[in-house]
Amino acid sequence: MEYNLLINDKTFPVTLDIQEKNKCAVSIADKRFSVEFDRIGEHLLSLEVNGKKINTYIADTPEGKEIFLNGKSYLVADADALEQQGTKKSSGGKSSDEVTSPMPAVVIKVMVKEGDMVEKGQGVVVVSAMKMETTLFAPFSGCVTRINAQAGDKVMPGVILVDIEKREENT
Amino acid sequence: MIKKILIANRGEIACRVMTTCKEMGIESVAVYSDVDQKALHVLMADYSYCLGESEPSKSYLNIDKIIDAAKKTGADAIHPGYGFLAENASFAARCEKEGIIFIGPPSRVISDLGDKTIARQIMIKGGVPVTPGMMQTEPDPLVLAREADKIGYPVLIKAAAGGGGKGMRIVKHPEEMQEACAAASSEAASAFGNGAIYLEKYIEKPRHVEFQILADTFGNVIHLLERECSIQRRHQKIIEETPSPGLTPSLREEMGKAAVAAAKASGYVNAGTIEFLLDRDGHFYFLEVNTRLQVEHPITEMVTGIDLVRRQIEVASGKRLSLTQKDVFGRGHAIECRVYAEDPEKGFFPSPGKIRFFQQPTGPGIRNDCGVYSGFEVPVDYDPIISKLIAYAEDREKAIAKMIKALGEYVILGVKTPIPFLIDVLKSEPFAAGETFTDFIEKHFGNWTPGEGDIDLALISYLMNEISGKDKTQYQSSSSHEAISPWKTLGNWRL
Repeated sequence: MEYNLLINDKTFPVTLDIQEKNKCAVSIADKRFSVEFDRIGEHLLSLEVNGKKINTYIADTPEGKEIFLNGKSYLVADADALEQQGTKKSSGGKSSDEVTSPMPAVVIKVMVKEGDMVEKGQGVVVVSAMKMETTLFAPFSGCVTRINAQAGDKVMPGVILVDIEKREENT
Repeated sequence: MIKKILIANRGEIACRVMTTCKEMGIESVAVYSDVDQKALHVLMADYSYCLGESEPSKSYLNIDKIIDAAKKTGADAIHPGYGFLAENASFAARCEKEGIIFIGPPSRVISDLGDKTIARQIMIKGGVPVTPGMMQTEPDPLVLAREADKIGYPVLIKAAAGGGGKGMRIVKHPEEMQEACAAASSEAASAFGNGAIYLEKYIEKPRHVEFQILADTFGNVIHLLERECSIQRRHQKIIEETPSPGLTPSLREEMGKAAVAAAKASGYVNAGTIEFLLDRDGHFYFLEVNTRLQVEHPITEMVTGIDLVRRQIEVASGKRLSLTQKDVFGRGHAIECRVYAEDPEKGFFPSPGKIRFFQQPTGPGIRNDCGVYSGFEVPVDYDPIISKLIAYAEDREKAIAKMIKALGEYVILGVKTPIPFLIDVLKSEPFAAGETFTDFIEKHFGNWTPGEGDIDLALISYLMNEISGKDKTQYQSSSSHEAISPWKTLGNWRL
């Protein structure tokens, strides 16, 4: 079986060859691994990779699987499946041109109103999560067309708090 | 003797206090807000009482509701933990008025020391060295700017009511003054309900060294050695240790005496912490007194073998301290790492959410003061602390090795944590060399990224999880059981 797996914003072609019930061979680029595996629990697998044992912990997230190994977390996704779903999540960093909170938060104040002209980098909304305040900035210069939140609102990441229509640059 | 204690707090510290209550045969009452109905501290308590809406001012910061809860549940004492109402003098005064024992210092002492400018005056009178700076607060940014010129840049803006780095700003250039003052004041107002600020000289590259003190109502005061808390980000401690790699035995004795003098000068009773800044020349300056149990108190407990919560309860019951200074000695080395729900790759931003899977490290010398479990949703409303991991060993090198091992085994899926960052800090050369100053993170880990790690193993894990998925259904029942049964995670508590 061929997979294209996405990790750290890079895609790796991986070949999997199941040999016995709990045994398989894996190729990643020109490296070959002989792997034995046992499922211990919903979130825990015991692996033996080229003869060395390791416990690996796994949970589902909306972006893929969260994998914990030796004090480090990894996010791994199936690039082909992502493509089929047409999600843009794999591109990463796409939220940079939207005014959205990076975490679930409460809106402290909205510093602009509809019709305002804003400059790139101008503070537009202040949000607070766990008593820490952070300012969200205009991603580009333009006109505020719509305010979608007000002070006191609880907001989630991805929710656009202020719509800004990009000003055409005269070059 | 106290029979029933209401813990006016949540999370790991509420659980920590309840543990000692249980050991002492004292009943515990948990208070909680709507979002915390299934929180660990509620599950651990003998009685629980709902305070209502999750907003702190309507729950854990609401004095009327908490006093009411104590009366309705018949609690004869309140332990405030840290944060929330712990250093609120009006709350302590209200307890005194209502005839409820407040497990902490008298309200007058909290009020004096809680105002950092008054605290500075008390310390000067008591002969304790303080940092140069203003003796009172000032609302006018123009006056503050003039004061800053007098003190000399860089200056530190501090909130009179502050703590945990909130309402604090370093200002290096005069043109930053006005904006920094406004931001500090607004942050202080929202965190403490008091936006008053003042200025101190900013001491560059100090160590943060604090002394634990214990005082009874008979005027006996002792110190329980130091804790070094120089590893901070945004002025918030993340790694603490004792003994401090920066102290010599004679400096330790000198600072310990100053800490006891500070406690006596303020009329201190119960457990408290005298914080000092220690500069490179071995001069130390009084910073502030934390009139409560400190977040990092466990490391003191590990090296001295003294349960601080037990001592707090005994002193609050009117008992005489059974320890003298000669009885206190440290043995071995202890390190604490604070594990928050936060993303070290994104400037330690809070990362609240549901904990999908949770497995605590165990082993000789490992303690984890924890307030969550698998399936718990870390709420957005409060400080994002998950737990404090403590490693204790015979010397510093072994304690570091033990901590690195324990962090590597600490599995928290579903929320981001600083565990990979903490491991890198502990493995670093400057940390190993004990070169721990308050600019440590900025200097050595300012542009930290997690590094690639073992991508091959992560990819293999992904695939093995996919192909062994057929068997998944048989585990699902056990996982839903896991989610509602946090008791599994309580197995390795130790004091």
